[in-house]
Amino acid sequence: MADDHAQSHPHVNYFGVFLALCVCTALSVIFDVVHVTPSLLVFLVLAVACAKAMFVMTYFMHLKFEGNWKFVILFPTAVLSVGLMVALAPDMAMHYYTNEAPQLRYEAEKAAESHGDHGDSHEAADSHGGGHDAHGH
Amino acid sequence: MSHAPAKPAVHMGLPLPNSKLGMWLFLGTEIMFFTAFIGTYIVLYFGSPGWPTGYNETHINVLAGGVNTFVLLASSYFVVVAHEAMVNKNFKRAWNFLAATLVLAVLFLGIKAVEYKGKFDHRILPGQIPETELDAVRLLGKDVQWIVDSQLNRLVPGAEPLHVKATKVTETMSTADESTKQQLQAWEGLNGAFNQLRSDISANRLTLDDAHHRLEEMQADPKFGPLVSHVQIAHVLPYGNLFASTYFLMTGFHAIHVVVGMILFIAVLKEGPKLDERSTDWVENSGLYWHFVDLVWIFLFPMIYIIPGNI
Repeated sequence: MADDHAQSHPHVNYFGVFLALCVCTALSVIFDVVHVTPSLLVFLVLAVACAKAMFVMTYFMHLKFEGNWKFVILFPTAVLSVGLMVALAPDMAMHYYTNEAPQLRYEAEKAAESHGDHGDSHEAADSHGGGHDAHGH
Repeated sequence: MSHAPAKPAVHMGLPLPNSKLGMWLFLGTEIMFFTAFIGTYIVLYFGSPGWPTGYNETHINVLAGGVNTFVLLASSYFVVVAHEAMVNKNFKRAWNFLAATLVLAVLFLGIKAVEYKGKFDHRILPGQIPETELDAVRLLGKDVQWIVDSQLNRLVPGAEPLHVKATKVTETMSTADESTKQQLQAWEGLNGAFNQLRSDISANRLTLDDAHHRLEEMQADPKFGPLVSHVQIAHVLPYGNLFASTYFLMTGFHAIHVVVGMILFIAVLKEGPKLDERSTDWVENSGLYWHFVDLVWIFLFPMIYIIPGNI
C-alpha cells in the first residue's frame, strides 16, 4: 500500500503552497485595513478565499492527482450547497414586503430621533455603534 | 489447485482505498452541513437591516481571526508533510509533524477560547441580548431578580420554594448573629426595591433612561447597594441574538471538528516509536479531514471577520 502511495503522489513543493496561502491571508487582512470601496473589498476577500481553497484542495488534498471520481463526489454536493442558498435567498433577502419586527420599529424610532436632534445626537450614535451606519443593506 | 479463486479480469470499484472513498463521501456531506450554516447566516444577514457589525457591538477581532487562519494553514502544511514522510517511510519525521499539528490545533482552540471569553464577558450570547429598549429594561428586572433569589437562597438555606423562604426572613433574623442580620436587612431592602421595579416594568412605566436612574438609585443605597453594584444595563443591539446564534453555531461546530481532528491525530501519535506504514492510510484520511477543517475556516474568516459591515 505504501508503495502505491509513493507512486500515486508526485512530489509537490508543499512549502511553496503554504507560503502562497500565507500571502493570501495577509492580502485579506491588508484589504480590510486599507481603504477600498466596500463592494470591491467583498469581491477581493472572497476571491482570495476561493484561491486559498483551490490551493488547499488541489495540492494539500491531492485532488490534482486524483481520478475523475472526484467530480462524481464533489459536483452534486456543490450543486446542492449553492441550491440551498439560492432557495433560501428570495424569502429572506429579496422579498417585496416589509417585515414587521420590533427591531425594525426600534431602528426607525432611533433614526427619527437622530434626524430630529440634528448633529449632536447623530454623532453620539455613530461613535457608539459604528457598524450600524456603516452598512446600509 | 482447481479450487484456487480465479483473479477477476476487471478490477471493480474506484481506484482508491475504501477508507479514502469513505472519507471523501463523508467530506461531501460535510460540505452541505457547513453550507447550511453559512447559507443561513448569509440570508439572515441580508434579511436583517441593522445587523450588528461594529467592534463595539460584536467584539469580532480581525487580528485574532487572521492569526487563527495562519495557525490552521500552518497545521495543514504540517499534516501534509507528515503524510509525505509516512509515504517515504520516515516515521519519526511523520510523528514530529503530526505532534506539531496537534500543538497548532490546541493553539487554535486557545485563541478561539479567548475570543469566546470576550463575548461571554460582554454577554454576547444567544437569548441574552436586548434588541429593543423594552427588552433592556426587562433584562434589568431579570438580573436584579436573580440577585434577590440567590441572596435569599444563601441567607435562608433549605429546600423550600423561594416564596416560603421569603416568609421566614423575619423569623431567621430573630435568631441570627449581627452580620447575618445586617445581610437579611439588606435583602429586605433590595427585595422591596425589586418589587417596585418589577411592578413598574410590568406596567410599562419605565423607559430606558428611567431604568438607568432607578439602577443608580439602587446602587447608591447604603444598605443593599453593594449587592447590585456590578449590575449593568445591557446595550440595545437589534438582531444581536441572531448574530450570536449564527456566530456560535458556525464557529462552535467548526471548533468541534477541530477537536475531532485532534482525536484522530492522538490516535496515531500514541503509537510513538512503533508508528509504521500500517498507519499511512489513517494519516492520509485524517489529513484530508484536517484540510477540510482548514477549508471551512478559509471561508468563515472573511465572512465573519471582514465582510460584515461592508455589504
